[in-house]
Amino acid sequence: MHRAPHITGYLTEHCEDDAYATLAGFRERGGYATAEQVLCRQSPQQVIDTLRESGLQGRGGAGFGTGQKWSFMPEREAERPHYLVCNADESEPGSFKDRLLMERAPHLLLEGILIAAFTIRAEKTFLYVRGEYGEAFRSLERAIEEARQGGVFGQRSLGSAFAHEVVLVRGAGAYICGEETALLESLEGKRGMPRLKPPYPAECGAFGMPTTVNNVETLCHVPHIVEKGVAWFRSFGTEESPGTTLFGVSGHIERPGLYELPLGTPLDEIVFEHAGGVPNGRKLKAVIPGGVSMAVLPAGQLDVPMTNEFLRERQTGLGTGGVIVMDDTTCMVRTACVISHFFRDESCGQCTQCREGTGWINRIVQRIERGGGRLEDLAILKDLCGTLEGQTVCAFADAAAWPVRALLRHFVQDFQSHIFEARCPFPGSFEL
Amino acid sequence: MAERVTIRVDGVEYEVESGRTILQALDDCGVLTNEVEIPHYCWHPKLSIDGSCRLCQVEVRTEGRAEGLLQIACNTPVAGAMVIETKSEKVRAAREGVMELLLVNHPLDCPICDQAGECKLQDYAYDYGVSEARTREPRRALKKRVDLGPTVVLDQERCILCRRCVRFCREVSETGELGIFDRGERSVLETFPGVPLENDYSMNVADLCPVGALTTKDFRFKMRVWLLEDSEGICTGCSRGCNLYVGVAKNAVQRYLPRRNDAVNETWLCDAGRLSYKQVAREDRLARCRVRSPQRESGEPGELVETSVAEAVEAAAIRLRALIASRGAGVIAGVASPHASNEDLFLFKCFLDALQTEIRGLAVLHGESDRLLVEAEKGANATGARAIGFGEVGRIVERIRGGGLDGLIVLGHDLLDDAYLGGSQALSRLDTVIALDSHCSAMDRVAHVVFPVRHAVEKNATYTNSAGRVQRVRAGITPGPDVLDEGEIFSKLGRALGLTGFQAEWDVWEASRRLGREVPAFRGIDLDSAGSRGRALVGPGD
Repeated sequence: MHRAPHITGYLTEHCEDDAYATLAGFRERGGYATAEQVLCRQSPQQVIDTLRESGLQGRGGAGFGTGQKWSFMPEREAERPHYLVCNADESEPGSFKDRLLMERAPHLLLEGILIAAFTIRAEKTFLYVRGEYGEAFRSLERAIEEARQGGVFGQRSLGSAFAHEVVLVRGAGAYICGEETALLESLEGKRGMPRLKPPYPAECGAFGMPTTVNNVETLCHVPHIVEKGVAWFRSFGTEESPGTTLFGVSGHIERPGLYELPLGTPLDEIVFEHAGGVPNGRKLKAVIPGGVSMAVLPAGQLDVPMTNEFLRERQTGLGTGGVIVMDDTTCMVRTACVISHFFRDESCGQCTQCREGTGWINRIVQRIERGGGRLEDLAILKDLCGTLEGQTVCAFADAAAWPVRALLRHFVQDFQSHIFEARCPFPGSFEL
Repeated sequence: MAERVTIRVDGVEYEVESGRTILQALDDCGVLTNEVEIPHYCWHPKLSIDGSCRLCQVEVRTEGRAEGLLQIACNTPVAGAMVIETKSEKVRAAREGVMELLLVNHPLDCPICDQAGECKLQDYAYDYGVSEARTREPRRALKKRVDLGPTVVLDQERCILCRRCVRFCREVSETGELGIFDRGERSVLETFPGVPLENDYSMNVADLCPVGALTTKDFRFKMRVWLLEDSEGICTGCSRGCNLYVGVAKNAVQRYLPRRNDAVNETWLCDAGRLSYKQVAREDRLARCRVRSPQRESGEPGELVETSVAEAVEAAAIRLRALIASRGAGVIAGVASPHASNEDLFLFKCFLDALQTEIRGLAVLHGESDRLLVEAEKGANATGARAIGFGEVGRIVERIRGGGLDGLIVLGHDLLDDAYLGGSQALSRLDTVIALDSHCSAMDRVAHVVFPVRHAVEKNATYTNSAGRVQRVRAGITPGPDVLDEGEIFSKLGRALGLTGFQAEWDVWEASRRLGREVPAFRGIDLDSAGSRGRALVGPGD
């Protein structure tokens, strides 16, 4: 993990120091003190107010206000337990931030969980970890056991009157289970398929009970915000998007890795200053700013602060902060093939547009790549993206359509040259 | 009582129950698919909401919102002052997009598909499709003939994965045999390994299937559906009286399909009932009147000989007249059947009244029942028979066994069941047995005159189900000229015997009106007023 020299990376700090991974080391460095303070002395409403004022946005891709989400939870009824679900099913290609937090800072996550669970009056947390994340799973397993034995969880969590228990669940390898309601289905032992909304999880979530689903990184910010205060948190980032976040930089880049930077850091600063730019003397061609489901930006459009409000103006989004860098050898039709193949493969298949559309899009771009494209294919692709967007049970279809639409918007000449030359004009590009 | 809200659909206001979704609310009002057309595949009024086909999108504008949003009508709850457009340009474009995608991998094998002509994919492709496919990619090749079980065959290529059948097996039959396997565009419908689709309601999945993916082995490749005329009927297998469509071609019943009646069978039909249409043209179906020839000189009993209706009526009249003359009408019993209609049973009652015999009863078989539709009483009109005055038959059985009876007029042959006489032996000593039946039975051994009668699909009549609902059937096919309503036979017999009130020719409408006048439970109900959904009998307190 790399730290930008001019800022204090409060999440990075936990990952860099091995001591944070053990309960003793974490406590020595002040860990769980914030949670203890909250559990013993604060009311859920106070925590919600703090989080609202802090402006923390969920770091799982949708960027929804965390304080607001918590406030949706209903009053506690006798027969209706509340649940917190931690979405640790990080599977967005290009994104690998939660993994490091779980592997290196499990107690930070658990402290965040405890504060969140207290706030939404949840008696149990289901921590749903991506199946492929073996080390993260084992790290959490150790930390939960340690925390349980150390009195962090249990009937009297941290010595307070709050009873809580954390259940660690391992996913089985479906991208769609990162969608919060598909995750809930999978958690319940069913096929991982997104649920129809309404009802929303706050009303009818895990096992039919009021549930809040929060991303790993989001929960890791919480203890810091509660401990150090709103003003401190807001000293990072922008008015609308405060705090730092973890940018995962990958692809054709000199120093790939995770970078904790304030939200609003310009994309070109991330790519060129922090991550060292494109290696081997090549030129930059394009950057995907937030994982493959976000729209690509061409090299000339990197002068944009990395927040949703600024990226929206460029018809893209922050997503999960996975910055994917592509140099000038990259064939954008092949990129479309790879991305659309991923979505074709991972669609759960319930909605017509997504099930049939992801496959059709992928077959068209593959044909174009092989030299069999026709000009009318580009119009069909655009139409298909329109049919997929905003018309399905979950946002997966949007995620499948946006990257293709953006590749067509910014790199239509790549598609056209494939069609005119009836072959791929980028022989040096990555292999399919 | 739930709160009512007013929604506006294409400019027309409807008052609906809050808490319902748009499709549910319009279905509640009875306007869906007639006044308001919202195409849909996965939604079905009797199954849980799936929201996956995405075809039922409508433009919804809620209060305080200037712009309409596309929403699926199946899962969007109604709200006061909601404005819904079902025909806007936005809606049309969305539906066209969905239809194009549904057809991308569809085999387009309508010429050999049983569903052609009643296929929702055809219908909506006509409404929202383009005439030329834009896809150049090869279509998905899947299994064309998957034997799901004893009753239903699956064509995976035609399946649009609406999952109605899956939900039916989970939620209605509660047998759960079907599932979707694999994911994304590789999704296929299948049975779970080693668990064939085999339940008492299995064939309903073929009705639910909006396309030609699920077909019944019974109807598969049998008939193009546009050659069928549907008439409204009811199933006579048990006292539930499930509403159905009788599919007729070439004056023969080709199939039964369930007809929706939320008060009776919702939209379902049990497999046994569905296949019971085969009784209509079964080999043992009676077509001619038969009269027993005189005893031979050797002492052997005579045989049943086919005659005209007039000869049979005359033979029956001669026997009855002789019996009444020698021993009086008090030795003659009438046994009704739950397979006869209200009008026929009413005429039977009038006939017995005019003969001046009080000995009458109803023989009805009992069998298995289930929690969904099937009732224990086998026969569609036991409740009607009782309302018309045919009570327990036990006393008659005793009198037959004890020798206290000489004449019997019997409808059907349920009386021979083990629950009653246990065979025809006990009837062999009777002086006169006149039987009216649709099919051959052991009654033929003892009857002196046998009249063939009509099946429900050949009649205009009403039947009263176990819940006291009087339900109308309409004649879909014409039987042979000698096959008559029981009412007509009694009408002729009454006239031959010169009984009071039997001067007029049989007219089922007239019989129905008289039934409404003379039997209090039927007050105000006749063939016409029963309608296609039926009407409840009048209770003693009404």
